[in-house]
Amino acid sequence: MSLLCDNVAFTYPGAKHPLFTDVSFQLTAPGFHSFFGPSGVGKTSLAKIISGEIERSSGRVSTDGPATLLYSHNKERLPGWSGVGRHLTRVIPPSMQAGKDQLVEIFGLSDCITSRFDQLSMGQQNRVNLIRYLLQDCDLLIMDESLANVDERTREKIILAIKAMFPHRYYIYISHNVMEVAKFCDSILVFRSRGKTPQTVMVKGCNIMKSGDFSRNALDTTLLEIMNAV
Amino acid sequence: MLYKRVFQFFIIYFLFLGGLMVLKYSLALSDYVIPAPSGILHTLIAEYRGYSLATLNTMTVAIIGQILSVVIAFAIGITGRQSTWLGSFIKVAAYNFQAYPIVALAPILFILLGDGFLTRLLIAAMISYFPVLLSVLGIMSKPVDDIEHFYRVTGRMRWQLEVKIRTFENLTQLTTVIAGSATLAMAGTIVGEFIAANAGIGYNIRIALYQSDLGKILIALFLIGITIAIYQALLESLGVVIKRAWTGR
Repeated sequence: MSLLCDNVAFTYPGAKHPLFTDVSFQLTAPGFHSFFGPSGVGKTSLAKIISGEIERSSGRVSTDGPATLLYSHNKERLPGWSGVGRHLTRVIPPSMQAGKDQLVEIFGLSDCITSRFDQLSMGQQNRVNLIRYLLQDCDLLIMDESLANVDERTREKIILAIKAMFPHRYYIYISHNVMEVAKFCDSILVFRSRGKTPQTVMVKGCNIMKSGDFSRNALDTTLLEIMNAV
Repeated sequence: MLYKRVFQFFIIYFLFLGGLMVLKYSLALSDYVIPAPSGILHTLIAEYRGYSLATLNTMTVAIIGQILSVVIAFAIGITGRQSTWLGSFIKVAAYNFQAYPIVALAPILFILLGDGFLTRLLIAAMISYFPVLLSVLGIMSKPVDDIEHFYRVTGRMRWQLEVKIRTFENLTQLTTVIAGSATLAMAGTIVGEFIAANAGIGYNIRIALYQSDLGKILIALFLIGITIAIYQALLESLGVVIKRAWTGR
């Protein structure tokens, strides 16, 4: 699969000015890719356009062949009537059940699997939500602040585990953590501050696959490119 | 909850009774217009048994009518929640139907169905269904996006699940409205009985009205009030039990 966005533009209904125009990029390799930029520049809107949740946009979003694109975000909740473990068992397809226990362990959720969702901390809630999306049959998963409220070390562990467990899947990781996107993402679509043209710039990331396996110089270069682009 | 409800009713009832007595003695009204406390007590002793049975009879009809109204409200609310042509048609029809005062429609039911149980039941259901319907329509039409999103994007959403999520998320509001509609169901049944039925406390009030016997009406009001207070408290307790069982809290 590859994802192509060609001259995508979006204006909120009733708004005078477009949120963004002429956004074009292509993702040709699976792995972690990122949308990065200040709040309110259109990262979430573009993610929703790609996943089909926003239909009123112009331009072209296409994949080469049929593909399942999912969008997840950090404000999602599980229904309150059942425990986390029971819910996961019910919503994960049988073919993916084997990965559940492994992910629960890696995500540090073993102790709260019998709890109800509202009894968990915000970081735990986000991790539970991410597990159920990861274990769906999809080609591209958009993670909009999906690891918000999770500590840095656990986030790193989770991202590296996802890369190892699902190497053939595309991810678009939306985050405000510049270090994180620079380290772990293969490509970073930087949304620039309002008034700058072009509105987006693609930056190559370090795409770290193992903990500690990166060059400090390469990371510094990526960080500088991102900060200059914003 | 039960004691609180009954206690609140006693306060209101005896304040009302006190007001009547103030009116009676300040304006020197005769016992024929407003009976003295001793007269009310005598009426209570004489009519207590018959009126209690009549109130229970009315309450039974009101409870069945309320159950019927909740079922109707949920059926219409669930069908009308969608923004389809049928959904909006059902909503408009339900609102338009309510525009007619049920008291004005009641004679049609009495003419068609007679003055028995079924007519009283339908009137009770028709009067109490609308507030429940408004709540159900409001609740069922409003998506709980942060929960439903996952089911929608993964193709798992079914209407039963949608209804379950929205009901669960608005359980407190629903139980409050259902408990509140108990009063309307009781009022509806009494109105039906008052118009033309041949049983129930409303029928007894009508007879007391023809006899101009305020004592009997006051006893009837006391029994109606205390029955509704107990029924509402039971409904609220049931709501708490259901919520606790479902949410685990």
